[in-house]
Amino acid sequence: MSTGHTPPTAIHVEELTRRYGDLVAVDQVSFTVPGGQMTGFVGGNGAGKTTTMRMIMGVLGIHGGRVRWGDREITTTDRRGTGYMPEERGLYPKQKVREQLIYLAQLKGMSASEAKGEVTEYLERLGLAERMDDTVESLSLGNQQRVQITAALVDQPSALILDEPFSGLDPAAVDSMADLLREHTARGVPVLFSSHQLDLVDRLCDRLVILAGGQVRAEGTPDELRQGTALRYRVVGVSDVGWVRDVLPDGGGGGRVLDVDGSTAVVELAGDPGADQQVLDRLVSEASRRGGLRELAPIITPLSEIYREATA
Amino acid sequence: MSSTTEQSTQRRDASAHDRRQSGAVWPLVAKREIMVKLRDKAFIGGTLFSLAIIVGVFGFQAWNAERDRTYDIAVTSESTQMGQTVREAAPTIDDAVTVELVQVSDDAAARAALDEGEADAWLHPGDAGWVLASTSQVSSQLLAVVQPTVTQSVLESNAEAAGTDVAALQQGSEVTTELLEGDEDRRGLAQAAGIVMAILFYMSAMLFGMTLASSVVEEKQSRIAEIIAASIPTRQLLIGKLVGNVALALGQLAIYVAVGLIGLSFTDLGGLLPSLSAGLLWFLVYFLVGFTCVAALFAVAGALASRTEDVQSTATPVTMLVLIMFFGSFFVGESARAVMAWIPPFSAIAMPVEVVAGEATWWEAVLALVPLIALTAVVLWAAERIYRRALLQTGGKLGYRQAWRAEV
Repeated sequence: MSTGHTPPTAIHVEELTRRYGDLVAVDQVSFTVPGGQMTGFVGGNGAGKTTTMRMIMGVLGIHGGRVRWGDREITTTDRRGTGYMPEERGLYPKQKVREQLIYLAQLKGMSASEAKGEVTEYLERLGLAERMDDTVESLSLGNQQRVQITAALVDQPSALILDEPFSGLDPAAVDSMADLLREHTARGVPVLFSSHQLDLVDRLCDRLVILAGGQVRAEGTPDELRQGTALRYRVVGVSDVGWVRDVLPDGGGGGRVLDVDGSTAVVELAGDPGADQQVLDRLVSEASRRGGLRELAPIITPLSEIYREATA
Repeated sequence: MSSTTEQSTQRRDASAHDRRQSGAVWPLVAKREIMVKLRDKAFIGGTLFSLAIIVGVFGFQAWNAERDRTYDIAVTSESTQMGQTVREAAPTIDDAVTVELVQVSDDAAARAALDEGEADAWLHPGDAGWVLASTSQVSSQLLAVVQPTVTQSVLESNAEAAGTDVAALQQGSEVTTELLEGDEDRRGLAQAAGIVMAILFYMSAMLFGMTLASSVVEEKQSRIAEIIAASIPTRQLLIGKLVGNVALALGQLAIYVAVGLIGLSFTDLGGLLPSLSAGLLWFLVYFLVGFTCVAALFAVAGALASRTEDVQSTATPVTMLVLIMFFGSFFVGESARAVMAWIPPFSAIAMPVEVVAGEATWWEAVLALVPLIALTAVVLWAAERIYRRALLQTGGKLGYRQAWRAEV
């Protein structure tokens, strides 16, 4: 294994802008990819994710703004040490898997023998030991994907910029891939990956950047993003829970009842910690008076909802 | 490859990512281009097939030249004597020809012998001389033996009748030929060699040029170009691809030329080898420069395309250029070709053809190389700019002007 590249404390994207003719594809986009963390990059088609990533990697010209590597401007050398996986899938279709991974690693500056050792190790870990000498085109799409990710991971990259790395992978493969990425974040490497699969992003990433129409709509940890959203609780009683309307009457303070269906109700609290606690206590005492309480639990707002709100 | 060992030594004593210089990585790219091609069964098969044809052609020539032919000539009583003269004279004129006589009773029998294939020809006196009759075609090899023998024989009898002899009649009539430059054989060979060289240049430039263009678009289409561009400067990628493909094309040509020369040495024209070899060496030198120029344009054609299907159209200007170079080298008159030999890129084919034909000297070949190299340098510079700009554009097929101005 090579000694690896030194990761930056963070990659700062500052007011990056890219135009295609009159269209502003990326409009003053700023966000941070901290070292040692997985940052999910979400947004619909045409939101500007790929364009932003290509600008970070220097394969597309920057029309405005800059990319900082720690506390200085990013350099070609920094980019050479960065593992990059572009949007489109495909290496050289007719070349053998291991051979072309070694070639790509050599282009990054590794020696042939170093590259061979590291590539072989990765392929074995990804369950591709027996396919190393097959051509890329003979592999299934999922396996091609693994090879593609391996190309980004060799040579102990100092940062990882991955465009849709999980698309086309089955759940088990997603998990093993995520484990691999975590090894790199454990070294302090900043990882930026884009994805359409929000549940997966929710599960894997430490931070989130939501992009829409070429602009950043939200950025932060999932918890931070949820803070702005309403606090909801599910109340399940032994019998009918229509009484929650007495605890939280319409127009009364402290919150509101969103839904009552037999023994289950959903309530939304005001978001004031002191008042919220009082409401919860009243719900518990009222329930025990009216036959008993089965469940009183906060509803975690799904990321998809945060995303819909952010991009609305 | 010293640069890689240098790099790997560097990396052991430093842990920072800037320990490696972005030195020359094009040898890696060139090596890959060559290795991939050398393992391509279609390429190897095609090369072997071409070699087989070259060897076959020379083999046939040699065999055809060596083999003995026996001709059966039908003679009647009135032509027997002339037939015997021909039979005796034949080996002295062409040692591969043997003449046998088929004695027939009359003209009708002679015709029958021809019809049934018992005789190849029928020699008989005609109204104003002698006739060599055959069913459909008189063998030129046979005619070459019969004609002078009959002429000589008739001359002798005519001279005798006139009271003189042939030697006296022919006194002072002989016309000998003298070529100030080269000789007849050499001229014919040079012409053939010129055409072969032009064809080889054309085929090789098209084959390797199109291969290069499609490998460029393949990289662009699969976005592996992006991975590579993030690792090394695109200039290095272009240089590597050009060097790899030019080396492959030149290597293949050199093998063809070498096998051709060896083949030639087995034929009657073997004595002309030394004069021809110099011209062929110039051909390889001019191909090296000329194809580098063409290859750079093919790489641009590949970068302008966005899908493999586009290459045909983006490469059209380049294939037209190669076609003009091809036809310009031997379909124009000799004086026009002498001019073409100085104008790049046409000189790439025309000048070596001139050298082989003995029309240009070595120093002219050296001199004409200068403008060709200059043009190639300019083309390389422009190609690098367009290639770099076009390679990472993802929005579909580009025009030359569009790519030239494209923002990076």
